[in-house]
Amino acid sequence: MNLSEGVQVVSLVILSAMVIAAAMGVVLLPNIVYAAFLLGGVFISVAGLYLLLNADFVAAAQVLIYVGAVNVLILFAIMLVNKRQAYPEFKLSGLRNTITALVCIALFCLLTITLTSTNWAIQPATFVLTSTLVTIAKHFFYDYLLPFELASVLLLVALIGAIVLARREFIADVQKDGAIVDESLSLLEKPREQLVGTKL
Amino acid sequence: MDFANLNVVLNAGVILPESIIVVSLLIALVADLVSVKTSKWLPAIAISGLLGAVTVLIWQWTNLTEPLAFVESFNGDKLSIIFRATIALSSVLTILISERYFLQSGIAISEYITILLSATLGGMFLAGADDLVMVFVALETLSISSYLLSGYAKRDPRSNEAALKYLLIGASSSAVFLYGMSLLYGLSGGYTNLHAIASRLPLGGLSLIVAMVFVIAGISFKLSAVPFHQWTPDVYEGSPTPVVAFLSIGSKVAGFALAIRFMVTVFPMVYEQWHYVFVVLAIFSMILGNVVAIAQTSMKRMLAYSSIGQAGFVILGMAIGTEAGYASMVFYMLVYLFMNMGAFGCVILFSLKTGTDQISEYSGLYQKDPLLTLCLSVCLLSLGGIPPLAGFFGKIYIFWAGWQAQAYGLVILALAMSVVSIYYYIRVVKMMVVKEPQEMSDSVKNYPINPTWTADGMKPLQVAIVVTLVFTGVAGIASNPIFTLANQSVHDTPFLSASIQNQALKVELLKQLADQEPVSQLPALEPTIQE
Repeated sequence: MNLSEGVQVVSLVILSAMVIAAAMGVVLLPNIVYAAFLLGGVFISVAGLYLLLNADFVAAAQVLIYVGAVNVLILFAIMLVNKRQAYPEFKLSGLRNTITALVCIALFCLLTITLTSTNWAIQPATFVLTSTLVTIAKHFFYDYLLPFELASVLLLVALIGAIVLARREFIADVQKDGAIVDESLSLLEKPREQLVGTKL
Repeated sequence: MDFANLNVVLNAGVILPESIIVVSLLIALVADLVSVKTSKWLPAIAISGLLGAVTVLIWQWTNLTEPLAFVESFNGDKLSIIFRATIALSSVLTILISERYFLQSGIAISEYITILLSATLGGMFLAGADDLVMVFVALETLSISSYLLSGYAKRDPRSNEAALKYLLIGASSSAVFLYGMSLLYGLSGGYTNLHAIASRLPLGGLSLIVAMVFVIAGISFKLSAVPFHQWTPDVYEGSPTPVVAFLSIGSKVAGFALAIRFMVTVFPMVYEQWHYVFVVLAIFSMILGNVVAIAQTSMKRMLAYSSIGQAGFVILGMAIGTEAGYASMVFYMLVYLFMNMGAFGCVILFSLKTGTDQISEYSGLYQKDPLLTLCLSVCLLSLGGIPPLAGFFGKIYIFWAGWQAQAYGLVILALAMSVVSIYYYIRVVKMMVVKEPQEMSDSVKNYPINPTWTADGMKPLQVAIVVTLVFTGVAGIASNPIFTLANQSVHDTPFLSASIQNQALKVELLKQLADQEPVSQLPALEPTIQE
């Protein structure tokens, strides 16, 4: 093992430890603000993993978009809502957690066995690296052109959908015939009685 | 590279139908901005765009020489053409039945149409996607639009709940699907094209099986096959009814197109294994969907469970794996489009007039609205498979294909389950037709004349109901053209017919070997046959 390999292994271990620790914190900490900040930590550590894989552009995009935009947005949402609410205990929550943990551990073991027992078709990374930007651009405008274009439609629709969901509706309470309409913007079907009963 | 050369490489003419839909989507978006007058034309713009796409697809059916487009990331073969046309038609009918519904509930229709068109677009691209990246982007376009659609009645807590549930379960199933795809990417040594992956995959092994299971889990969520169905009843109950109609047809057809293309292309090495999984999915879906539907009191919920059961029948066609099996799937999807859409149109009409979808409220409807009763009865009986309606021929074709492939147990189970389904469909029909005048429900007693057929947005609903009624009634008797169409779509699709031939050869070879050699030598010979 030469020096560069040693550095790579050490940084891989450090970054992985950071990802796992921060992700555990996101899930386990009861305070949502801490969880949101730790989520930023997860994103940054993942960006470090991308750097180790020679994907510099993806790492930069990860930091810009996930840390800079998504995580800040989450923090804003937490700040604006600012509502403390005690959640009622689930029935049999201990049993549920145990079963979930067992399933997750089993899945983890299965995937570990799969990954370690497979003979992966990996080419040794001896080639000279060109700029990853050029490689990505070549793919975007050649073999992944269609998904790239379709992604623009996807983003447009996501934008429209976000506006539709967030837009404030001005509901005309009084219609032409003077009848007061309360039920606009909801489904036409009346809710089932038992459904209403359980909700109230 | 000049433009002509570029077009030779990209072969962009294959996605002309989708381009038309994108253009009509943009026109609809701008027309809504311009003025109130133009925004009235939105449904017309969307429908003409979709019908234009269908026309181009019909033209492509005979005249498309080179189906591969965009460096083999999209495949416009006949199977994809017929599925894309089905998705586009389901979208047309959905727009027709949704106009009045949204008008009456005071929800703006303009964004709804944009989102519905993009869902259609995602579904159509999914039906022809031949590349992992393309599959995933198309799947996400379809899914994200579907989440938005199901939460479109945003002041209604049921709609919010439906959208949130759909989003959470959908996102996690996408993640599982993506994990399976990443395993495939790694196993093939860094390829994303489905055919390239298939030729480089190992012959077997744990990782291939894990990848297969993850991919099937992701696809089954779209098909809402048991045990990946938990979201279906709640989402169907909480979403606006026209959206439910689209989800139960357009989204499902796209899922089936993806299932056939992905499984047949990528996993020929583990052919027995994935067929086995689909047999299990079919059995579970048929049993659970049909049995639980009996206990439902809400019409939308009943149709949700019945759609799970119907998906089970279609998966059965796929699990058979013969040419007749795949053709029967295509045939059944085409027929299912019209009969299910008709049923939803009638449910919408009833809730427009009475504001409820409880099955008990339908009692005695025959005296007040014979036309609605007739349409709903025909569609439900067709869904149940009563001759001579279209659904009967769809089911009999699937059963016949199964019988030919010697899947006797499956066919008998499917027959039993379709008898169960006839029970709950006929219960609704009986409720409407047989009840005496004094047994009428309150909402039928006060059955309003308004909205009349001349009211705003009622004409499209009428057109949709009549078209679906005529098709459901006539397609059974005159099913030969559709039958030929379905057969051709399977026969003329290279990847599917190659797989069918391979399997037939394999079975024949095994049979010959079993006749010639002692049975004990069979396992040693098997690997040579697989290659």
